[in-house]
Amino acid sequence: MPPLKPAKPRKPASILIGFSLLFSLLAVALSSGCGDNFSDLEVLPTESYMKKPGDFLGNTYTIRAQIDSQVKWEKGVGRILAVLPESGGSRLPVFVPDEVGGNLHIGQRYEMRARIEAGGLIYVESLRKY
Amino acid sequence: MLKVCASISLFWVVAQITSHAQGYAPVGAPAGPAPAAAGMSAPTGGMFESNTFLEMASRAFDPSSDSMDFENGSFAWKGRTFNLTSQRAFRARFERFLLASPTEEEESYAMLMDDVLQRLSVANDRSDDAILETWEMLFRAARFDTDGGNSTIVANQVFNAWRIRKEMRGTALTQRELADMRRHQQTVVANRALMLEKLKEKKQRESVRMTSEKEGNSEHTTFPTEGAFRALELAETEAKLIAMEGQAALTGIQAKLQMQSQIVAFLVQRRYQHALVLSGFYQLLFKGSQQQLEVGKGELKSFFPNTDMVFTVDMMAFVANEAITDVNKGVVAVNTAYAEDRAIIALERLQETFFLGEYMPELNAIPVEQRRLLLDLYRDMLEAVELAEAKDYNGVAQYAERIALIAKDFPKMRVLSSVETAKSMSDMAVFAASQYRNLGDIDKARAELRQAIDIWPSNPSIREFQQETTKLATAGSQGVQIFDDLYQRGGHRGIYDRRMDLGFALAEDPVRRPLLMEVIEQVSTIDLLVAQSAEALKQGDPYVAWELLAEAAKFDPNDAPMNRARAELAPRVADFVVYLDRAQRQAAEAQHAGSLAAFLAAQDIYPASRMCREGIERQSSALMAQLSVQAEVAEE
Repeated sequence: MPPLKPAKPRKPASILIGFSLLFSLLAVALSSGCGDNFSDLEVLPTESYMKKPGDFLGNTYTIRAQIDSQVKWEKGVGRILAVLPESGGSRLPVFVPDEVGGNLHIGQRYEMRARIEAGGLIYVESLRKY
Repeated sequence: MLKVCASISLFWVVAQITSHAQGYAPVGAPAGPAPAAAGMSAPTGGMFESNTFLEMASRAFDPSSDSMDFENGSFAWKGRTFNLTSQRAFRARFERFLLASPTEEEESYAMLMDDVLQRLSVANDRSDDAILETWEMLFRAARFDTDGGNSTIVANQVFNAWRIRKEMRGTALTQRELADMRRHQQTVVANRALMLEKLKEKKQRESVRMTSEKEGNSEHTTFPTEGAFRALELAETEAKLIAMEGQAALTGIQAKLQMQSQIVAFLVQRRYQHALVLSGFYQLLFKGSQQQLEVGKGELKSFFPNTDMVFTVDMMAFVANEAITDVNKGVVAVNTAYAEDRAIIALERLQETFFLGEYMPELNAIPVEQRRLLLDLYRDMLEAVELAEAKDYNGVAQYAERIALIAKDFPKMRVLSSVETAKSMSDMAVFAASQYRNLGDIDKARAELRQAIDIWPSNPSIREFQQETTKLATAGSQGVQIFDDLYQRGGHRGIYDRRMDLGFALAEDPVRRPLLMEVIEQVSTIDLLVAQSAEALKQGDPYVAWELLAEAAKFDPNDAPMNRARAELAPRVADFVVYLDRAQRQAAEAQHAGSLAAFLAAQDIYPASRMCREGIERQSSALMAQLSVQAEVAEE
C-alpha cells in the first residue's frame, strides 16, 4: 500500500485569483441589483405614448433626451420639464422629483430612467448625463 | 301692447310727416311733440343744411341783378330808386322783350325822335316856324305804337303854354284899358273932393251969421252921396285890375308848373327822350329866369345828393341824358359779355339795362338769337330756383347741368356739391332714425326722421324707412313668440338674423330685451372673429385663423357660419388640430400629463399658439398640484 501522499498545501496565488473573481461577481451583482443600469430598459416609444399614454401605465423606460424648458417647479415636490427625445418626435413632459434631480440646465442631455405613472405622467426615477 | 302702440305711433308720424312734406296734409295738423334734441347726426339742426343749400341756390340761380330788389319792388340807379313793381310783372315785360324782334317801325321812330331832339338843340334854328314844325313832328311820333302817346302829351303841354301866353297878351290889353279908366275915375273923385271942401268952408261962414237954421237942406244931403258913388266906382276898377293881374300871374305859373311836372313824370317813367323833348320846348317857351324848378326837387335831389345847388330844368335834361348814356353802355356790356361766353353776366346786365331803358330804341342793338338764348337761361334759372325752394335736389342737379351747357360761367360744381351734401345729410338722418327705431327709442327716431324730411322731402330712403316701419309694426306682435322659440332652441343665429324685427318687437320688454342684446352681441363677436379668421387665412396664417375660430366656438359651438369656416380650414391645420383635440379631451378626463404632452406637441407645430401656451400653463399647474398632494400623502 502506497503510502498516502501528504496533501499539497494550496498556493496563495490561486487564492488571490479566487478572491478577485469573487469581488468582480459581487460588483456586477451589486450594480445590477441597484437599478442604475439603464441599458437593459426599453426606450419609451414616444409616438405610441402620445397617442395613448394610458397604455403605458406602470412601465419603466429609458429616455435619452435634451432639456428644452422647465415648465413648472415646486419646492419639495419637483419640476416638470419639457424634454426633446433623442429618438425624435415632439417634446415630452417629464416630472423630476426634487430628490432625483440636482442642477438641471436647459440644453443638457440626460439619460433617464422613467416610470409611467397614473394619468400618463413620466416620472423620472433617476438620470445621468451623457 | 305698449310696443304695438309705439309701432303705430311711429308709423303714423312717418306718414304724417311725409304727407306734410309733399303737401298732402293740412299744415295745421299737429304731428306730436317736438323732440328736445335735434338728433345726433346733425347737432346744429336739420334746417341748417337746408337753409345753407337754399341760400346757395338763391345766389347761384338768381338771374336778377344786385341793383334789383324785388322784395321792395325797387330798382336802384345812381342813388335813385325806381318802382320796379312785382317780380312777376317785371318778368312778364322782360320776357316779352326777349321774345320780341326789332321792327322797321321802331327804327323809324328812333330816327324821328333823334330828329326832334336835334331840332330842339340850341345850335339849331330856333325860329317860330322851325319850332312849330318840330312841334308838328310830335304828332307824327305819336302815331307809332312804341311812343305810347307820350309825344301827344308833350305836344299838348306845349300847345297849352302857347294858349296861356296868348291869353296873357289879351289880359295885358284889358289891364291897360282898366288902368286908363282908373286914372279918369281918380280925377273925377279928386275934383269932387275939392268942390266939397270949398262948400264946407262957405257953409261954416254962413253958420256963424245965422244960428239954428235948418241943417237938413237938400244940397247938403245929396252932394256926399254922389262922391261916395264915384269912389265906389274907382274901388271896383281897382279891384278888377288887381284881380286881372293876379289871374295873369296865376295862369303863367300854372303853365310852368304843368310842364315841369310832366318833365319829372317822364323822368320817373323812364321816358328819357320825351323828358328831353319837353325840356327843350320849356327852354324855348319860358325865359331864362323861369328855368328854376318849382316841382320835382325831391326827385332830382336823389340824383344829386349832398348838394345845395338850385335845381333847374336843365338838370332834369342832364339826368335823362345820363340814363340814355348808361343804357347805351349797358347794351354794349351785354353784347360783350355774351360774346365772351359769360351768359350769366350778360343776363344780369341785360336786366338792369332793360329796366333802365325799357322804352329806349337802343335796346334793339341786342340780337334776336342772343335774346332767345338768354330767355332760355332766364327761364331755366327761375325754374331751378323754384325746384331749390321745393328741395327737389334731383331736379336742381338736372337744371344745373342744363344751365351749365348754356352758360359757361355758371357755378355748376358748387351747386352739385351742395346738392350732394344735402342729400347725404338727409340719408344720415334716415339712417339714425332707423338705428333709434331698432333700439326702440321712438322719440329720437321721430326727430331724426323729421330732420331727414326737412332736408330732403323726396328722399327715397324715407319711403324705404316707411315700408320697413310698416313691416316691423306688423311683425311686432309675433316677435315675442319667435324670440322665445329660437332662444329655447339655442338658435342664436336665427335671432341675430331677425334682430331688427325683434328689436322693434321687444323694445318695451324688460325681460327679453337684455337677452336679445346679449345674443346680438354674442353673434356679432362670432362674426367678427370669423371675419378676422378669414383675414388671417388670406395672409397665409392658418393656425392663427384656427385659433380665432376656436375662440369664436366658445361663444356658440353650434353657430353655422363659424362651423362652416372651421370645416373649410381644418384640413390645412389637421396635425395641429389633432393634438389640440387630444389635449382638450384628456384635460376633460383629468389626464393632465397626457394633455400637457399633447399641448407641447401642438406648440411644436405652432410655437406662437396662444391656446397652447394657456393650455400648458393650465395643465402643468393642475399636474403639479396633483403631485404636491401625492407628496404630502407620502410624507405622512
